[in-house]
Amino acid sequence: MGTYVARRLLLLPLVAFGVTVLIFALLQFLSPAQRAALFVTNPNQLAQIDGIIRKYGLDKPAHVQYWIWLKELARGDLGWSQTARMPTSAAIGTFFPATLELTIYIFIPVVLIGLWLGTKAAVHKDRFVDHFSRFVAISLRGLPSFVWGLVVLMVFYGWLAWFPPGRLSLEADLYVKSPAFRPYTHLLTLDALLNGQVWVFLDALRHIVGPAMTLVLVEMALLVRVTRSSMLEVLRQDYVRTARAKGLAEPVVINRHARRNALIPVVTLSSLLFVGLLGGVVLAETIFNYPGIGKWGAEAAVQLDIPGVTGFGMFVAMLTVLGNLAADILYASIDPRIRLQ
Amino acid sequence: MNFHRRLLMLLVFTLVVALAGFNGVAQGQAVKNPDTLIVQSFGDPESLDPAWEYDTTSSAIGTWNIYETLVFFSGARTDLYEPMLATAVPSVANGGVSSDGKTYTFKIRQGVRFSDGTPLTAEDVKYSLMRIMLMDRDGGPSWLLLAPILGFDTQTTRDDKGALIPDIYDRTNRAIQVNGDTVAITLKDPYSPFLSILATWSVVHSKKFVVANGGWDGSKATLASFNNPAKPDVATLFDKSAGTGPFKLERWDRGTKTVTLARNDNYWRAPAKLRRVIYQTVEEFGPRRLALQNGDADILGGTDRSDQPAVTGIPGVRIVDDLAQLINSPALFMTMKIDPEGNSDVGSGKLDGNGIPPDFFSDIHVRRAFAYLLDRQAYIDQAFRGKGRLGNGPIPFGLLGYAPRGKWYEPSKDKAVAEFKEAWGGQVWDKGFKFTLSFNSGNIGRQTGAQMVKEAAEALNPKFKIDTRGITWSTYLGLYTKSKLPMFFIGWGADYPDPDNFVVPFMHSTGSFAKAQGYKNPEADRLIEQAARETDPKKREQLYFRLQELAYQDVPTIYLIYRAGFVVMRSWVKGWYHNPMFNEGWEYAYRFSKGQ
Repeated sequence: MGTYVARRLLLLPLVAFGVTVLIFALLQFLSPAQRAALFVTNPNQLAQIDGIIRKYGLDKPAHVQYWIWLKELARGDLGWSQTARMPTSAAIGTFFPATLELTIYIFIPVVLIGLWLGTKAAVHKDRFVDHFSRFVAISLRGLPSFVWGLVVLMVFYGWLAWFPPGRLSLEADLYVKSPAFRPYTHLLTLDALLNGQVWVFLDALRHIVGPAMTLVLVEMALLVRVTRSSMLEVLRQDYVRTARAKGLAEPVVINRHARRNALIPVVTLSSLLFVGLLGGVVLAETIFNYPGIGKWGAEAAVQLDIPGVTGFGMFVAMLTVLGNLAADILYASIDPRIRLQ
Repeated sequence: MNFHRRLLMLLVFTLVVALAGFNGVAQGQAVKNPDTLIVQSFGDPESLDPAWEYDTTSSAIGTWNIYETLVFFSGARTDLYEPMLATAVPSVANGGVSSDGKTYTFKIRQGVRFSDGTPLTAEDVKYSLMRIMLMDRDGGPSWLLLAPILGFDTQTTRDDKGALIPDIYDRTNRAIQVNGDTVAITLKDPYSPFLSILATWSVVHSKKFVVANGGWDGSKATLASFNNPAKPDVATLFDKSAGTGPFKLERWDRGTKTVTLARNDNYWRAPAKLRRVIYQTVEEFGPRRLALQNGDADILGGTDRSDQPAVTGIPGVRIVDDLAQLINSPALFMTMKIDPEGNSDVGSGKLDGNGIPPDFFSDIHVRRAFAYLLDRQAYIDQAFRGKGRLGNGPIPFGLLGYAPRGKWYEPSKDKAVAEFKEAWGGQVWDKGFKFTLSFNSGNIGRQTGAQMVKEAAEALNPKFKIDTRGITWSTYLGLYTKSKLPMFFIGWGADYPDPDNFVVPFMHSTGSFAKAQGYKNPEADRLIEQAARETDPKKREQLYFRLQELAYQDVPTIYLIYRAGFVVMRSWVKGWYHNPMFNEGWEYAYRFSKGQ
């Protein structure tokens, strides 16, 4: 197991290299003036565009630009992200915790609901629960997340004023930024509890519900469906019949014998989901004005913020590698046969 | 539970949510956050350093709230000033401006302190002006002081190769002299708009603070390392403040894209009524609108005309409309020397019905034909809900030199046809043409304009073909600077409220639009240069009227609209007033308060 993990970890720099080369190569399809546009926000600056191109070396050949970037990387500098208004490494450090926090609040409900509803649907195949879950899954998945986002925002902020966008309300924000508050983890809800400030916790929670609810609605559908089909498959297996024949109680058969074996595809899907969410949920973050990494990454890409988009791409690629590794380790703990190999 | 009962419960739940919603709207609202003004807009500041910032958002937040200028605009006037950090507005009459119009002398106000408590000195003023001139980052505002003070051949501190001009420090140092508590600025040539530039850009900051924080010490020896910094955060005041203004920077949270200003308790006038001014970046209009409705935002910035109905009729929300703006945008530009290389926008590149030659628009008849073709009032009605005035030249309504009786082309199909028949010896009409008309994508107003030009032209002659194309802003800029776009929309907003700031880009052969279009008329250049030196407003106005006649005769650009702006705010915002130099009024929030 140890060598396996080490081998996978050794892949990381290679993946990072591949991703950054790819991004640099893609960006070379754009002219220097196009890439200079990042620094020109109004027509009054147009007279100085040549200076901008020279200053940022935008007319240098791609490999020279990449080499400059590599040299900076060697000094631990990922470059200046103009869209984040800070160094790229600082941007990742700033935006990632917000997304991580949001991801946790999405992932846990999605997995719990997905497993529960998927199992129910499989066990009660062709009964009400099954039809109902299918109906819910298809209709929720059927609309894009920004539509749900707007609906949630409209109802729970516009009408009810329960779940405002952003990350904190005015007072809580002022308090969190004051010296009295210590940011241990940069996960606001956790930090609030660690600081013993329940009101800040509730405030942060209030702000996270909107985007979390939106994504739970959209993302759980797939997990419900996959759990259901995987369970159906397993429930037909001989050992399940054997378990029942032995006279085991139905919950034991379902939860212990069947579900555990149905988990492999669920784990695969969940790990993909988790990494996908961590990589940023652009639409929900944008609609709810939630300062996450996806919103920044998308903006960097749109505005051709080269250091920003390169750093972001590299970071997400690494997350994907790590996510897959975590999934592999989980397989092993679920299925002893994998461990033996 | 059977299916029907579940369905019923679902219905009941939906109904409850809906009803609760209506209650929410019906409830009256008390003033939220009574001592804090919250502005929500798209776009975030690039830097809060006055020597770096040149984008609207950055200067809107900081320049006049955190800092102050030597003189500032008097109320809603853009041509009348009141003293701020200077004790008087200099004029020839009071001896503040020398008789040759070159030297401006300012007595610096005593008893003014920076927000950190240190007193303001004349040395700070000189240092600030020099710092703004000499930092000169590419794409920055330094030219706005450099050019008028050191002469218009000095637009930057560097030569064509990017090397620092050796005597630039000495020239600047000589031009600005401190004598006791006065500062004298001597211009290379008289430049009558100079005070309007100082009212906007003489942003005074504390030398002591900047030096203490590792910034430029003001000496010649260290200039090279200070000039044109590579990254914005190298500039000391990037995320710090050292001003004398009514507010100081409390925090710029770049994670949540929120800037918080707090009241400056060391302020030399009565302290501001607001305790805080908060600027929040919210990219999407939907959430901004809901925040306004819920009272979580007091002023919405950057609301598009097309979104106006969505904010109309919300209880407790006030819309102030028909505001004069010093903006000439959009205008329709024609490029007289198109770069045809690899350029599909000119089709075949020949006048064969499938393209246009690169100098297609150099024929005055082509340009006049398009000017007759477009019904500009219909355009204003359609794209701007009728809010705006017909354009007739580079100088927008509200500025000296705007020609109220200046002629422009009345829409006429017959005249358009006649002009097209004369163009290129009749070949245009016989063979037809094909080219691409572009706009930056996402700009609905420009898209509408492009469509109208296309429809009008194609209805005139079946051989006329215009493709319209939306291009992302970045690509647009690249193509524009390379003179690749045959016909395109772009616009200009005032750096300072003076006609010179408009006529140069639009009509001077070195101006950024005229240059890209390949427009050059020596008479226009002469008029522009003469008007900039002229101090008598009446004579200046006459020169600009003649320039307007040239804009009409040569018609390199079809002027469309001088837009009227509008601002959306909660009606509990008090003390708001409009100055056409600014977009939304909170740029100078000193007099603001909140109350029912």
